[in-house]
Amino acid sequence: MKKADFLVALEDVLQRDEACNAEDMLEDYEEWDSLSKMAIMSYFDKNFGIKITLNQLKEIHQVNDLIQMAGSKIDD
Amino acid sequence: MSLSKFEHVKVTGISTVVPEKEINIYDEAQYYDNNIKKIDRMRKMVGFWKRRVVDYDVTPSDLGIQAAEILIKEMNIDKSSIDALVYMCQKPDFQAPATSFYIHNKLGLSQQCAVFDVNQGCPAWIYGLWLSSQMIEAGTCKKVLLIAADTPSTGMDPADRISAPVFGDGGTATLIEWSDKKVESFYNIETVSKDYEAIMTPVSGQRCKFNLGKTEDYKLFHDLLTNPIETPFGNKLTVFNGYMDGIAVFNFTISVVPENIKELMKYASMKYNDFIGLCLHQANKQIIQAVGDAVGFEREKVPYAAFENYGNNTMCSIPTTINHVYSEEITGQSSKVICSGFGNGLACASVILELDHIYSSGIVNYKKPDDFMTREKYLDYWKNKLSGNNN
Repeated sequence: MKKADFLVALEDVLQRDEACNAEDMLEDYEEWDSLSKMAIMSYFDKNFGIKITLNQLKEIHQVNDLIQMAGSKIDD
Repeated sequence: MSLSKFEHVKVTGISTVVPEKEINIYDEAQYYDNNIKKIDRMRKMVGFWKRRVVDYDVTPSDLGIQAAEILIKEMNIDKSSIDALVYMCQKPDFQAPATSFYIHNKLGLSQQCAVFDVNQGCPAWIYGLWLSSQMIEAGTCKKVLLIAADTPSTGMDPADRISAPVFGDGGTATLIEWSDKKVESFYNIETVSKDYEAIMTPVSGQRCKFNLGKTEDYKLFHDLLTNPIETPFGNKLTVFNGYMDGIAVFNFTISVVPENIKELMKYASMKYNDFIGLCLHQANKQIIQAVGDAVGFEREKVPYAAFENYGNNTMCSIPTTINHVYSEEITGQSSKVICSGFGNGLACASVILELDHIYSSGIVNYKKPDDFMTREKYLDYWKNKLSGNNN
């Protein structure tokens, strides 16, 4: 998946009205709550076949960190 | 054990009763700082919308009895032909006797009928089908009446925004019968008891009890009740409330449940197209879709409409889904459904059922009977009875 496509998908996963950028801090998003984290977990599982844990999501800060978690599944 | 199969058991009717009183999340905007956008987001992500709740004095058995009465009347069941009554519940009317005796009396079932209660959570309906199927296939019963009912709303504070918007109340009755013709059903039942604390009401039985006649116990009880503890998620709970470790439950649900369902499909040698739908316990929309996706079903075949319209009515949610979404398919033709219930224990129970021209009540509103016992009436009755004044 292209990075740009992931950022658009992320907007939908978080149910956010504004665009997401790789440099954005997740803590700054009003929508970055436990619901969103669970939605991210199922999105990664369904689309990338990657199982991530809630603890992993607690340790990351930037949208870029999410992209890193997808490894080779997201490219430029 | 875990996987099992029956060949001569058929489900012939399912009825569902829900309370008339509906709460709509949009009417509760005060709990969301009147932020409608926030509610829209909850609706879209988790499916919060409408739920049905009982008046405080209505018990699960009241809903279950009415569901059974509908089944008996509409299917024209000869009451004397019911060999056993199985009542699945987590909120009994009394500690003793088992509530199933009370239900048996109310329904006017025969003396030649076995009755018992089984304490199970959200997978209870499937657990009850499995038990009933064994009683039938063993040859000891020809007809079993299974009742499952719950009123989770009565244990909740409406201001608790983590639990209150999730749960609704309901009652359901199912008739299970011997079939001379071969009818296959398949089950997969698993227990993950290391997480038994993940969904629990910590102070609700003999493990921690109070002698309320003693002043110090009364004071301790009152202190615990009136000083709720704030959880890391910002809601307030006492030890008497239902506790849930959301993360542990979510992890269990997305790891154990999809595998359980896939294993069952493999055991039965069936594929996605064999089923009209995957009826999951209506935990919430997010969980339903995550499990459905992980099993590999198309989203259209994994309904969450019952959650949106009635709330998560725990052990009733699968029969509620069947009666709300698939009523036409199961009454008019032969249809296979695959269902999975998961919840406290932690437990997961899945079943593949063939529903061939069965009776489906749709969703019926509960109506309080004329002789309904309010708390006041009930206490008066018992005070009189104790003093020997009833006759």
